This record gives sequence, C-alpha cells and structure tokens, in this order.
Amino acid sequence: MSGRVFVAIAIFALAAAVVFAARPHEATSEERIDQITSELRCPVCQGLSVKDSTSETARQMRELVAQRVREGKTDTEIQAEFRAAYGDWIFLSPPLTSWSALVWLVPVAVLGAGLILVAGRLRRVDLPASPEPTASQVAALRERVIREEATEG
Amino acid sequence: MILARAVRIAVVVGILGLVVTLALAFRRDPHDIRTGSVNKPAPAFTLERLDGSGRLALADLSGKVVVVNFFASWCLPCIQENPALVRVFERYRGSDVIMVGVDFQESRDTGLAYVRRMGIGWPTVGDDDGRVALSYGVFGPPETFFIGADGIIAGRHIGPIDEPTLVNAIEKLRAQASSR
Repeated sequence: MSGRVFVAIAIFALAAAVVFAARPHEATSEERIDQITSELRCPVCQGLSVKDSTSETARQMRELVAQRVREGKTDTEIQAEFRAAYGDWIFLSPPLTSWSALVWLVPVAVLGAGLILVAGRLRRVDLPASPEPTASQVAALRERVIREEATEG
Repeated sequence: MILARAVRIAVVVGILGLVVTLALAFRRDPHDIRTGSVNKPAPAFTLERLDGSGRLALADLSGKVVVVNFFASWCLPCIQENPALVRVFERYRGSDVIMVGVDFQESRDTGLAYVRRMGIGWPTVGDDDGRVALSYGVFGPPETFFIGADGIIAGRHIGPIDEPTLVNAIEKLRAQASSR
C-alpha cells in the first residue's frame, strides 16, 4: 500500500514539474530578439537567418531589432517594418496570408488530386463479383457429383 | 468518372498556370525587382554629407525627381556604373532632378576619397549605421531608387545601371510631375 502511495506521489511530483517548466512565461528582450532575428532572412547570405549570419548587414539588422524591442515595439510591428522594406521575401518561412502561401498549398493540393486519381483507378480495376450459379447449373453440377459417386461406388 | 475528369482538368489548368507564371517571370528584368518599398512613400532620412558640409534631408528635396544611388568604394559594379551616373548628372545639372549618393557600410573618409577620385559632383551622404539602406530594402550596392515629385518610390534598379535606364526612368517621372 505504501509502495503505491509512493509511486502516486512520484508521478504527481513529476507531472507538476513538467507543468511548471512548460508554463507560459513572458519572453525576455534577448529571447524576443533571438526569435525575431531567427525568422528574418539575411539579405546578403545564402539561406541564413539574421541571427546566424556574421555579415555586417545582419549585424545592423540585429541592432535595429534590438533597438525596436527597447523602444517597446511589438514583434508584429518590427516584422512589419522589415516587410515594408523587403516584402515577404525577408521571412525565411513564407507567411500563409499572401501569395507565397501557394508554396505551402500547391503541394498539398497536388497530393490530394493524385490520391483521388489513384483511388479512382483502383476502383475501376477491381474484378467484378462472380455471379451466382443459375438453377440449371446447380442441377447439372449435382447430377455430375451423383454420377461420379456412382462410378466410384 | 466525373471526379477523375475534374482532376484531369485541374492538372491541365495547373500546368498551364505554371507555364504562364514562368513565361511572365522570365520576361521581367531581373534588375527591376518589385520589393516592399516600391510604390510606397520613400522613407525619410537626414544624413551627414561626406564632405562635412552639413546634413542632407530627403524632405528638403520634396517636389523634385530624386535618384538615390547606394554605393561603396569596395564595390566593383559601382565603379563600373559610375561613368553613366556622371553623364546623367551633367545632363540634368541645374534641373528639377536631384541625384543623391548614399555611401554603404564604410568609413566616411574612405567614401569621400572614392567620391573625389571618381569625379562625383552630386551630394553624397554617409549611412553609418545602415538604417537608411535597411529602410529602403537594399540588398547590397549598387542599387538605385527613383523617387517621384510626389515622394513615392516609382522604381528600383539592382546592380550596375546604364545611361538609357537612368534617363528613361527619370524622364518618366518628369513627365508624371509635369502632368500633375
């Protein structure tokens, strides 16, 4: 009995620790800067984020983001400032609210269309169910069985 | 059966759409990239002149056609395009067209030495912290922006620019300004 109580307490403590660790907390300025710059594309690099790039342009962009965070701008306002200058291209992941959403939607639509096409084909090649034997066929078969039994007997 | 037919039509329409999109994309000049700043008010700036003669504010050029050229001494295509810029500057000297050079990511002394060496007569300013370049969505020098008399960025050219492209863009904006 005490063993079960001990296990229950341990599970409860573990669950409480997980909930405590995963609780929503307000991001610090540094976390916000890291988050925003990790989503921005470095304009002079090949597929690198502003956070990961060591270029002068990326450094200037990080400084601008840090200044805007200090000024109390929201993440959306900071992202809008970069969008106004560079368009949606500046984001490493194209947003779903513009034409670039087609990048996400077209593959899904093509996959769906392909599945429908394949399902249609498979249904068409299914063999038709074998028809029920007619009464005359059953009678003929019965006669044949009786004949064969008589021959063997 | 109807579904399969619909899917087949959708595939054909999709392929046609792709072909049309690619055909339109390949027809466009790769130097004329329509990023966020085009067709929007030109971001305001006030920057120190490279020759130390004070500050230059874009707002002071309101009502004129302004050509903003981002350059740097370490940028070889900038050296390549400079003769075209000099000829166009001489052509429109004293007119309603103003050229402004914005020095990109280098010290003012280096920028000023380049300006003197290359015979640049138009006002040049230093963008020390890169804020102006970022507000215009500059990828790297050389880049040229055409601002109309209404203060709207009418176009941008990425990479070295030639004289006909400069003159065409300027004349289009002058015609717009005179018809207003």
